[in-house]
Amino acid sequence: MYLSLNWLKDFVKIPNNISSEELAARLTLHTVEVENITDQAKKFDKVIIGKILEISRHPNADRLQLTKVDVGGKEVLNIVCGASNIEVGQLVPVAMIGAVLPNGLEIKEAEVRGEKSQGMLCAADELGLGDDHSGILILEANAKIGQSFAKHLHLDDTIFEVDNKSLTNRPDLWSHMGMAREISAILSTKFTAYKPSEKKHKKITGGIKLNVKVEAGDLCNRYMAAAIEGIKVESSPNWMQQKLIAAGVRPINNIVDITNYVMLELGQPMHAFDQKLVDKIIIRAAKKGEVLETLDGNKRNLAEEMLVIADSKKPLAVAGVMGGANSEISDETTSIVFESANFDFVSTRKTSQKLNLRTESSMRFEKGIDPLLAETALARAIELTLEICPKASIVSEIIDIFPGKKKFLSKQIQLRLDWLQKIIGEDLGKGRVIEILTNLGFEIKEKNDELIVSVPSWRATRDISIAEDLAEEVARIHGFNNIRSLMPKVEMLPPEKNEERTLERRIKELLSKGGNLHEVYNYSFVGEDQLKKLFIDSSSYLKLANPIASHQTMMRQTLVPNLLENVKNNQARFKEFGLFEVGSVFLSIDSEIKKDNQSNDNLPYQEKRIGIVLASDNKEGLFRKGKGIVELLMSSLNLEVGWKIDEFSFNWADKAEVADISVADKIIGSVAKVDNKIAKNIGLKKETVVIELSLRQLLALYKKQNVKLFEEFEKFPPLVRDLAFVINENVLYSDIRAEIINFNQLIKKVELFDVFHGGKLGENKKSLAFHVVYQADRTLTTAEVDQIQAELLKRLEERFEAKIRNF
Amino acid sequence: MKEKLEKIKNEILENLAKVKSLEEWQNLEVKYLGRKGVFTEILRSLTGLSIEERKTIGKLANDIKLELQENFKNVAEILEGKKSVGFVDPTLPGIKLPQGHIHPMTIVQNELEDLFISMGFMVLDGPEMESDYYNFEALNIPKHHPARDMQDTFYVDKKNDEGELDLVMRTQTSSMQVRAMQKYGAPMRCVIPGRCFRSEATDVRHEHTFYQLEGVMVGEGISLANMKSVLETVAKHLYGPETQVRLRPKFYPFVEPGANGEVTCFICGGKGCRLCKDTGWLEIFGSGMIHPNVLKAGGIDAKKYTGFAFGFGLTRLVMLKYGIGDIRLLQSDDLRFLEQF
Repeated sequence: MYLSLNWLKDFVKIPNNISSEELAARLTLHTVEVENITDQAKKFDKVIIGKILEISRHPNADRLQLTKVDVGGKEVLNIVCGASNIEVGQLVPVAMIGAVLPNGLEIKEAEVRGEKSQGMLCAADELGLGDDHSGILILEANAKIGQSFAKHLHLDDTIFEVDNKSLTNRPDLWSHMGMAREISAILSTKFTAYKPSEKKHKKITGGIKLNVKVEAGDLCNRYMAAAIEGIKVESSPNWMQQKLIAAGVRPINNIVDITNYVMLELGQPMHAFDQKLVDKIIIRAAKKGEVLETLDGNKRNLAEEMLVIADSKKPLAVAGVMGGANSEISDETTSIVFESANFDFVSTRKTSQKLNLRTESSMRFEKGIDPLLAETALARAIELTLEICPKASIVSEIIDIFPGKKKFLSKQIQLRLDWLQKIIGEDLGKGRVIEILTNLGFEIKEKNDELIVSVPSWRATRDISIAEDLAEEVARIHGFNNIRSLMPKVEMLPPEKNEERTLERRIKELLSKGGNLHEVYNYSFVGEDQLKKLFIDSSSYLKLANPIASHQTMMRQTLVPNLLENVKNNQARFKEFGLFEVGSVFLSIDSEIKKDNQSNDNLPYQEKRIGIVLASDNKEGLFRKGKGIVELLMSSLNLEVGWKIDEFSFNWADKAEVADISVADKIIGSVAKVDNKIAKNIGLKKETVVIELSLRQLLALYKKQNVKLFEEFEKFPPLVRDLAFVINENVLYSDIRAEIINFNQLIKKVELFDVFHGGKLGENKKSLAFHVVYQADRTLTTAEVDQIQAELLKRLEERFEAKIRNF
Repeated sequence: MKEKLEKIKNEILENLAKVKSLEEWQNLEVKYLGRKGVFTEILRSLTGLSIEERKTIGKLANDIKLELQENFKNVAEILEGKKSVGFVDPTLPGIKLPQGHIHPMTIVQNELEDLFISMGFMVLDGPEMESDYYNFEALNIPKHHPARDMQDTFYVDKKNDEGELDLVMRTQTSSMQVRAMQKYGAPMRCVIPGRCFRSEATDVRHEHTFYQLEGVMVGEGISLANMKSVLETVAKHLYGPETQVRLRPKFYPFVEPGANGEVTCFICGGKGCRLCKDTGWLEIFGSGMIHPNVLKAGGIDAKKYTGFAFGFGLTRLVMLKYGIGDIRLLQSDDLRFLEQF
């Protein structure tokens, strides 16, 4: 929103020692952020009024003319000009050397086709005053030679741009008068509110009976209207146009300008109908299928929950949002009906959202405007109309239908001063508190240590209702930065630990520093196409109702798809790399978390997962490297990991190289190589292995385990035997290992050190080689170990058809 | 004999040390170790010794021969340039050990968590997919409240029994305020770091996925002055002991009074520079005294207890700290980015 300093000064005294910058800074610190200050005069810096003394033809160019221009200085300027509308004696705006025009053009001394030019004569569009480029802007004869152009236009205003979003709670600040009141409280200076003159607007001359009926009283709190005759539609006076321009609103004609002027001045959106085009005024819900062409030329399909202003036959306006073309003020209009109403804020907001039409009017209504303002604003509009159109007169009763009157009874709040001191943390003194509140328009009755505060109507709609709201008023006007800091005094208890977070952190350290992996933060979204290519069924995926990109429409249920994207995005630059992520997945089953305290509905199940991806040009051993990372992670957490044949079988995984991660007989994740065909299909150019495991399940297991105790060193040397077997391919390492380690209590450790396939072994055979460590609390003899080993070999042969390998 | 062998060995080594070219080396080798060389001759002369003597002296002679051969070989390699003269360049880099990296967001989040834990705050997590109730309603933002304009919300396409879309991707970590109060009651203090979402197109300055850290403190007599003090502590921790905090009013429906927090620009120290757009201040948090409606939603007696809440944009803190200009890098998988932290 734009605020004109001149307009503000109509209502509040701003001392000379408060500069625009200072005022903006104070507003920012106490009320609302001022995003920008524009000095109108600066816009036309070095643009001066000059008189054309001579015009001659340019010797080298047919279309150009040479002029001599008097700008009130010592020298007459030579300026080359291309426009054809100039004549000797005219007064024109001259951009002097060094001027920077609003369109960014910087004026420099130049030679145009061999002739010196010491400035530029300006057209309207070059000065940012409309689109006219038909010729140089010719000024009235009374313009003063040498005067700055800004001064000539009376453009001496300063414009503040404030952040609309920080005004959502302050309907009263959407106007110059409201902001002026605020400034008066900040600066402790005098504020004068607008008061309609009693006589003028009550003098009714004519005999029009306005037929107004509010049918939807729940959505229309108040409806006021008055008809005026004797209107001549023309441009509004300069002073009004200047203020409108300063506030960023384009002047249209005197009647429309008056409605906008009142809105910008007082904050009340107004509307004017052509009285002759309206037989009745009915405030009702729209009917199904009704269509209205709004003032912006768009045909709007109305829905039943929308509030409209209609006559006996058709809708005339979307209440609080925009008027219709069918009753628009035109050059032929001679009598008008002013509407000054108060519409329900929720309804206005819904309608404006549904029509995707946000207007200056709807933005104000949806904040909840003071219903008493309707009356003041109507009076102001009538007053301005009578002033601007001398022949105009009020020809109807002032209609005032106020169905919502009871909703807006005056509000009183008890403000205890000791409570105020407690919440602010400092005693500001009773006098200061009363001063601040009074300046803001609150009325106060003192009662011992308590203030009975009456809330003014412009703050009472939704902004101020409890003592905390008053505390804010006092604290911010006093200045948050004037309150001294004070550390809270609390019991010295250590905070409850967040075990999942602690584990997550540890895992991140381990994976990055131990596993040589880089942490990545991927989006929580995936796309249908992405999943389809991995043969992941997305039917159970939770979807976004309003996604912003076609590749991010669903909530991920696994970290894998995005991790594979990560490989694609890096594969051209790096030969071998690994990434990890700890992030949430969102399943379509219910969690145990309630949607709210009263509800039996639960949120969808969400948990954090650890995802790892390894990519390499080297095709050998990547799957086992992946397992190695899991083993490193688990052993660092003092957990033992076992590998199980995958039960879930991902469609995208290589059937040969996929395994489930099992800890304490619980499957908490898996390691899988991406199937070659799929890899090719999705554009992976590397061997890729993905690991995913549940942080929550890992935490549960981690919490269950006991502290790892110190183990005494062995006092006697171990006996190590190396054994290599040839077995069928389909015999599992884990089964053989289990058999060996459980075979005899003297066998303390079994370590695989070689795996070998095919070749001399023959088809479907493999060789596994182990170090088998025998250990006892005495020196073992070769003989007894030999005997155990012989029995072991026999058992392995019986169970697995394992043959000892002798080559 | 033994002395003789030692003497000849030293003589040979001395001469070998003076050798400057391969040619000299060859001559020397022929002279001493060649078939008719001096040392070879001595070895031959051993045949005349007794068996006992031959055993001891023979071994010694053989050892010396091996030693000499080794020395000759070394010198040859040096002369051929195969071996360095014994000079190791101490400025050579070490052998590179592979190392992974932690994401900058994690680093900054961990630092802040540690600070708050040290001040007795719990660290809580919350659901990223949240109910409309906790993300909005419980925070004093009813449906069709204009404050919802500030936030473009991702809704989940799953209607409840009433036919409403009541699941959102949380737009703020404030969504955990009421859950935390309901679980822990008062007094209580906690922070909630985490991922948030807003439905907006991404560009250099906008991301639909970003991070916040919410703080809540509830207790008897907790005041605005307390809030200021805690936030100043955080600011000083982040940007040094000279850092100041400036609060200015800002409307958030779930606090009253509500304030926006700025800190002295750490680049220019408040003098004004490009980073702070010449204001001297950087806006980094929102804050305020918890609205009594929110306390009530959290099951807390608003007459007895008060509290404050604040929220930091973690994303912004990370960008400021590391000088990252493009917000999208934080969600990017580019290893050239990830390897830098």
